[in-house]
Amino acid sequence: MDFSYQPEDIEFRMRLRKWLQENLPAGWGTTVFEPKDEEARARFRLDWERQLYKGGWLGINIPRKFGGLQGTPIQRAIYAEEMARARAPEGLNIIGRNLVSSTLIHHGTSVQCERYLPKILSGEEVWCQGFSEPNAGSDLASLRCRAERDGDHFVVNGQKVWTSYAQYSQWCILLARTDPSVPKHRGISLFLVDMRSPGVSLRPLKQLSGESEFNETFFENVRVPVTNLVGEINDGWKIAMTTLGAERGADDALGRQIRFKQELDQLLAAATRISRDGAHAIDDPVLRQKLAKSVIEIEVMRLSCLRSFSKSLKGGPPGAEASMLKLYWSNAAQAMFETALETLGPLAPFTGEDPLSPESGRFQLSFLHSRAFTIYSGSSEIQRTIIGERLLGLPK
Amino acid sequence: MDFDFNHQQLEFQEAFRDFLTRNYTLAQACASLKNTQLRSQIWSGLTDLGTFAMLVPAAQGGLGLSPVDLALVLEELGRALAPMSVGDTLLATDLINRFGSADQKQRLLGKIAAGELRISLAALETDSFRPANMATRATAKGARWTLSGRKILVPEADKCGLIAVVCRMATGADLAIALIEPDRPGISLREHATLDLTCPYHELHLNQVGIGAGDLLGPAAGSPAALRLADGASTFASLQMMGIAGKMLESSVQYATDRVQFGKPIGSFQAIKHRCADMAVSTDAGRTAAYYAAWAFAEDAADRGLAASTAKAFCGDAARFVCNEGIQIHGGMGFTWELGLHNYLRRAKVLEYAWGDAAFHRERVMTETLANLKLGA
Repeated sequence: MDFSYQPEDIEFRMRLRKWLQENLPAGWGTTVFEPKDEEARARFRLDWERQLYKGGWLGINIPRKFGGLQGTPIQRAIYAEEMARARAPEGLNIIGRNLVSSTLIHHGTSVQCERYLPKILSGEEVWCQGFSEPNAGSDLASLRCRAERDGDHFVVNGQKVWTSYAQYSQWCILLARTDPSVPKHRGISLFLVDMRSPGVSLRPLKQLSGESEFNETFFENVRVPVTNLVGEINDGWKIAMTTLGAERGADDALGRQIRFKQELDQLLAAATRISRDGAHAIDDPVLRQKLAKSVIEIEVMRLSCLRSFSKSLKGGPPGAEASMLKLYWSNAAQAMFETALETLGPLAPFTGEDPLSPESGRFQLSFLHSRAFTIYSGSSEIQRTIIGERLLGLPK
Repeated sequence: MDFDFNHQQLEFQEAFRDFLTRNYTLAQACASLKNTQLRSQIWSGLTDLGTFAMLVPAAQGGLGLSPVDLALVLEELGRALAPMSVGDTLLATDLINRFGSADQKQRLLGKIAAGELRISLAALETDSFRPANMATRATAKGARWTLSGRKILVPEADKCGLIAVVCRMATGADLAIALIEPDRPGISLREHATLDLTCPYHELHLNQVGIGAGDLLGPAAGSPAALRLADGASTFASLQMMGIAGKMLESSVQYATDRVQFGKPIGSFQAIKHRCADMAVSTDAGRTAAYYAAWAFAEDAADRGLAASTAKAFCGDAARFVCNEGIQIHGGMGFTWELGLHNYLRRAKVLEYAWGDAAFHRERVMTETLANLKLGA
């Protein structure tokens, strides 16, 4: 066990810190927030990602030969910490950088890696994820979207749902049924689908928060070259588990931890400003305990990510352990945003449009977003079943 | 960076698990409350295993290991409900290493390594968890002091060679540690009746007990020893609580696999399976917090105090949750005396409140966090 930093790690940290100081959007971190308009916000996030790439600071988890930084676990942690410290903006191509990259690195051909990974990093190609369907959510393996072989192509027909950022994406990582005659887990394959292909259409879905980040995506006779199959035919379920492992795993969680820590620091600052009963919110002993609980839980989230990194160094891609991490942080973060509203007290119901709204309504929006944490990338009930059966060995 | 244990540390864990499973069963742990011979047997068994030599430097005949090497060992000691003076003696060893005079090191460390000296810690008082409110006080009397006050929950004080008493020095707000024999004039002991039926604890009355500079661990003023003791004790308690939580989780998973109702093992029902999953998540996250605190303690890292309080608050809540859920999963059997699960619940309760409960440590985390963020109160 060793949490000390080598001189080269400290040098890495200082280089990144300096770059961030010089390159963050003007005024960022003090007064400037992301654009309110969704299109403008997506553009803002992509521009930031492209700037990171130009500066040589994108792809901490991606091998150097594909244009990434190939960071050691300590460098990944430093990267996350420095982004948090600078309160750097979020990126847009999160699915590409985290999920598609780890799936291709583990299961893709070298041709596929060379074709797709550099463009993920350069921000030329944004990705979305076509897994869930209207009738295949928790029971993902019952998905019905079909891919039928036709010469050197597959022809895809079906519908996906909850496709985040599909409207900004050029590519989709898609699960489709390639053999309906075998048990459901054994007839699924994974494809890389060009969203600009004829037959792809979108319908935005409005979320509980009022935003439309995600979509329904329709595939009608969409032709996908056989070279866009990832791994073996009918081996898609196993490969998808890698994707989901990455989605639930330490790299993803550490990135989120940064956002949560940023919001928590803002919340603590707000609690020292907001007046309550002749003093400040932070002086309320009950609230103070709840805020401290979140400070502790978000710190344990960071430590859990570091521990998970150390384990993953010794093993392969993340598996069922990732479910533990996801179940943990989703609960911790939801509790934190409930506490955020309690901190606002009588002002809790105001959204950003109301002049009385403290902190521009950021905590209300984050609270609404947080309700998705225990649902997406496998609901908490699915995670608990995975933990119970695969890690604890309980009977089915 | 590496947040994992090395091969040797994992081997220690296995050796302790194996030794304690064979030599300190739950039945023996329960019997040990009234049977001092059982407790001296396990003490000498642990001595033969090298437990007390682990932290003693090689120069004094020890193994010269670090508290990180002890983390998994403490978890095993917690899991086995080993006598509480074992962990106390190990922590006292660390304090003597760091703050002891040449004479104290010379006199004490060799004896500790040989299993001949047991040291219990006496810090807790009846009114408050806060060090600022500590009432036990040393009053100057020439070049010496007299020590008066009352300490509670000192494990096996009657079997200790020395008791490490945390006290306020009359000259200021400083806390100091005095190492005193339990039979020194002015000291009286009373055995407590506690929830924990696997270890005796004592109340310690100090009535103008004479102490000299040679009894103090570290200087009389401005010593960091008492703070290190508090952080170490919180960390060690966290590790032991996670040992208990791990045991409770395993027992629950086993029971849920074996117990059949409605024609199926109850572990196949989501109501039970999902409870077990939540217990696993709490236990794992608690271990993460406790292991990090062990590292921060070993390295005397800048965030040692924050890490200790984070772990104590988190592990206290986690142990409470896992013990309660574990008993629920065992159903009617869980509530019987005969199955013995209550012993884990009872020890966990003592540890949960020892060295500050979760609320106390959350307040400390908040104070330090606001100071780090430079946010005024």
